[in-house]
Amino acid sequence: MNGSLIDSFVAIVTDIGLWVSILEFGTLLYLAALGETIAEKSGVLNLGVEGMMAIGGVSAYWMAIESGNPWAALLFAALATALFSMFHGVLSVVVGADQVVSGLALTILGLGLAAFLGQDLVLQPPGASFEPLTLGPLSDIPGVGPTVFSMGPVSWLAAALGVAAWFVLTRTRAGLSLRAVGESAATADAAGTRVVATRLVSVGVGGALAGASGGYLTLVLAPGWNEGATGGLGWIAVALVIFGAWKPGRVLLGALLFGGLLALGPRLQTLRCQADQEDACIGFDVNPILVSMLPYLLTIVVLVLLSIRSRNRPSLAPAAIGLAYRREER
Amino acid sequence: MFGLRLVRRENPLPGGQVFAFMVGLIVALALGAVLLLLTDHDPIEIYSKMADSSLGSPQAWSTTLTQAVPLGLAGLAVAVAGSMGLWNIGAEGQIIAGAIAGTWIARLGPDLAGPVLIPLMLLAAVVGGGLLALGPALARAHLGVNEIITTLMLNEVAIRIVRYLVNGPWKDPTAVGFPVAPELPEQAALPTLFERANIGVLIAAAVVVVFGFFAARSKWGYELRVAGSSAQAAEYIGISLRTKILTVLVLSGAIAGLAGGLRLGSSSRIVEGIAEGWGFAGIIVAALALMRPSGVAVVAVAFGALRVGGTAIKGQGVPASIADIIQAFVLMGALGAAVFTTYSLARRAPGSENASMVEADA
Repeated sequence: MNGSLIDSFVAIVTDIGLWVSILEFGTLLYLAALGETIAEKSGVLNLGVEGMMAIGGVSAYWMAIESGNPWAALLFAALATALFSMFHGVLSVVVGADQVVSGLALTILGLGLAAFLGQDLVLQPPGASFEPLTLGPLSDIPGVGPTVFSMGPVSWLAAALGVAAWFVLTRTRAGLSLRAVGESAATADAAGTRVVATRLVSVGVGGALAGASGGYLTLVLAPGWNEGATGGLGWIAVALVIFGAWKPGRVLLGALLFGGLLALGPRLQTLRCQADQEDACIGFDVNPILVSMLPYLLTIVVLVLLSIRSRNRPSLAPAAIGLAYRREER
Repeated sequence: MFGLRLVRRENPLPGGQVFAFMVGLIVALALGAVLLLLTDHDPIEIYSKMADSSLGSPQAWSTTLTQAVPLGLAGLAVAVAGSMGLWNIGAEGQIIAGAIAGTWIARLGPDLAGPVLIPLMLLAAVVGGGLLALGPALARAHLGVNEIITTLMLNEVAIRIVRYLVNGPWKDPTAVGFPVAPELPEQAALPTLFERANIGVLIAAAVVVVFGFFAARSKWGYELRVAGSSAQAAEYIGISLRTKILTVLVLSGAIAGLAGGLRLGSSSRIVEGIAEGWGFAGIIVAALALMRPSGVAVVAVAFGALRVGGTAIKGQGVPASIADIIQAFVLMGALGAAVFTTYSLARRAPGSENASMVEADA
């Protein structure tokens, strides 16, 4: 570790590449976490996100090669994964199986199926990529121009979906029904809401968004497909929902924060030395593997802090989360 | 619908879970066959090769039992916590923690004799697994922090710790190419039982039997079940929930840690993928066994065979992930089949079309 700490810090955070990368990781995490938020709001915990992302990733990559169109690939990933999520939907909502067990089975199945179906895609070059989006003069503004106003179309889509989800959940009748089902299925049922249908749709929407997130991973963030491509990102998405207190806005903040940690990890160590000046190197002497643990450790710390803060206060979680609803046991 | 309705049974059918498991297995093999057909493989040929390589000879059985050891211990770890209504989703990480701790001991005392070194390594593995579960246990017992998420997150932490060690401080300087840790001393290998199986099989079996006995017969097991079914009842008869949660989760981690230690006795060194998904598969095993140790042993052997079969067909160009797919389908099929063991079909009484109170949504 040479050079001054402050110089290194300034050099890293003023690097435009870091902020572009934060927005990319943020997009990926937000898509999946937003979907999980919707499912959990309806009372269905889905621990299958990691597996759903893998299915989305492999479907998008395959469709991109087949069609050459990135939007077709992303849409296909969303639809295929929504269908795939119905394994969990039917088992946990219709049959009433334990949501933890069924969700984890979905992850194991998703990772296995993706590896199975994608074995011929491993060395294939990407079939399509999204055109960059530049917003004329906005993209020339220093700071936000090359970052926020140059982000890809899927990032804008994710932001729009976030606003839409917030609006539907908090301002519409359908959203009210969805939340009612997640708070007390029996009460919602008595009020005439179709509990099973509402939950199935919520799980399906969650699946579609997790699939889109996986597609974004294999098409944009790290183009290519290989077994284990998701590498634990799905678990971060699950954690983000708690971090964001089941609110689309707060989940977005969490996605950017955790995206920041993911983007920062490999950059902290980047040593740039001026020729002949070994004591003028920029960067920190930290191991990127150890830095990559931070999102997971931070989640635990946040959970502990939240529970200390919320003692003697009502929980922020949907009250009926994890509970199967059987009408005859009402 | 069709003049029939589903009625929830007062007690699930006896032997219902065996039925559900068989249904799950048939469903899984059928769906697996579809996948194989879609990818231009002959399912009969692939399945018979899988069965032959995992159950067809003493040597096949020895590899199956070797796989059943970590599966069974991970399943038991999940089941011990599950019998109290707690979820340990962190067995994957605890297996890694056990393997790290065992390797650490072997690095400290590479010249110790086998009969000294092996017990020390296994003890360290138990402690290592328990330690990784300690944080979630404390957080759950004292602050009520959801143990599902905390144990889940620690998996990813453990995966990165072993990656760091193998790529950094523990990297074998003489190895070329892919970074690996140096081999463990020769005497760290567990003595052979038969063919390729070592005494790890006996150790794991003993642990499962002991826990099966204590869970069913002891005061400890009774208190566990009471605490699992009603926290209020437990407090009423003087069980300290905090102590129970703490001990059960740490014990669960310790059992998974032992699996990591026993793996070191079978493989020559610690590697990044030392846990091989056993921790997650353990959750399926425990769920299928309805959290009962005896069931865990049976399912672990069945899944051990599946995994050995899955590896054996790699040569045919079938990815080994077919084993994971079939395992997940077995569980899903069994979860679905449980409808029939917990519900019965009854003819709808005439004129009761609107008797929605007793009509299941299923």
